[in-house]
Amino acid sequence: MNVPDVMPIVTVSFPDALRTRVGNRRTVAAAGRTVREIIDVLDRDFPGLRFNLCYETGELRPYVNIFVGRENIRYLQGLETAVTTGVTLHILQSVAGGR
Amino acid sequence: MTQQRAYTSGSVLLLVGTKRGLFMVTSRDREKWEIAAPTLKGHRVFYAILDQRSGSRLFAADNGDFFGSFLRYSDDFGETWQEPKMGIQFAEGGGEKLVNIWVVEAGRASEPGTVYAGVDPASLWMSTDHGETWEIDRGLATHPTRERWEPGAGGLCLHTIIADPTNANRMWVGISAVGCMRTDDGGRSWVFANKNTRADFSPEKYPEFGQCIHRLVQHPKEPDVLYQQNHCGIYKSVNAGEDWMDIQHNLPSQFGFPIALDVHHPETVFVVVEDPAARHNVGQQFTVYRTQDGGERWEPLTNGLPQGNGVMLGILRHAMCTDTIDPCGIYVGTNTGQLFASRDRGDSWQMIADFLPSIYSVTATLLV
Repeated sequence: MNVPDVMPIVTVSFPDALRTRVGNRRTVAAAGRTVREIIDVLDRDFPGLRFNLCYETGELRPYVNIFVGRENIRYLQGLETAVTTGVTLHILQSVAGGR
Repeated sequence: MTQQRAYTSGSVLLLVGTKRGLFMVTSRDREKWEIAAPTLKGHRVFYAILDQRSGSRLFAADNGDFFGSFLRYSDDFGETWQEPKMGIQFAEGGGEKLVNIWVVEAGRASEPGTVYAGVDPASLWMSTDHGETWEIDRGLATHPTRERWEPGAGGLCLHTIIADPTNANRMWVGISAVGCMRTDDGGRSWVFANKNTRADFSPEKYPEFGQCIHRLVQHPKEPDVLYQQNHCGIYKSVNAGEDWMDIQHNLPSQFGFPIALDVHHPETVFVVVEDPAARHNVGQQFTVYRTQDGGERWEPLTNGLPQGNGVMLGILRHAMCTDTIDPCGIYVGTNTGQLFASRDRGDSWQMIADFLPSIYSVTATLLV
């Protein structure tokens, strides 16, 4: 079995509402094999970020969307969706107008 | 450059939590009011208080639409906000998740660092360091009946906290739809305090728990006297919640959310009852009701309050309060964004703000 020995490095793009959480940056580079691993790594660097994205139970918050490239992870493997080097993770607040 | 907010000693500060931000409304004479631009703009602020026990620290229950709920504090009247070092969060992977922070209350005057918060799912949190770190009350969280607690329409929310100023071991909380609970050992154990309060929506009309309490207040001079507005009645207890008396009497509805009292004349209590189906004023006159004899008789207060075919105002549980001046001021915020004030115990009213977002809460502080 071929196991990649190099951790994928991705670019994570943040919405305005979360930029203060990541040092007022628009994007951050992070290494991990899945979206969940990426979030874990980011939470170590920027404590509290995971709580912004996920409930304490580990599930993604309902009005947070994460896209790997152009694909919403809700229609892939959720937080277990694998990532590859060079992709961009877009973290977005969902369209929740009208409430 | 942002101008520093400055408020004068002796002024009344109203903190108005709304669906889209926290508004600060102030007055030196309770007649002319000034509204500052909102802080936490766009955030759902369920409740906010100013704690003046050691300095002036604002606390706000900020329930964001997207990225979680946070109890924030500010030491500069909302210019900047801080997150606690260890905020209100359940243990990761423990099966519980924070849905909303409903209420925050300062602890006793003798415990200036103590702050309490109530959340959905129903739990009580406590900080002993001015809100920097928070811990859950294990006694309530592990109550043996907890698995049978059912939410109301607003969730399984702990919305009212009273720390008895005369007894450091005694507290009450209100949980919808569980009822009133009391601890006499500093939160290690809790008992239900619902005897004689109804649950008309349940097959059992007088259960041990499962009542939908909406708001609870304590008599400031007789600590065993409590009043509550319930989904199914208005009640008074004279024995710390051991049992309750129905004091609806001549009120036109048993249903309402807020209740408040005059701290200088604590037999004077205010409620706003509603049509239980429509969730707005009964009839065409928006009315605050007052009793001056502890609930024997209620009188309608309407002078300055709106009337007409289109007047359909709803008041949420935290959206009415009194101040601590004598004669007391009363403040009522509607879920359609009007804010009414009286400075004469409800005898006359003026609308001091309109067009606000839906008002969730109003708290009043006399600035020292």
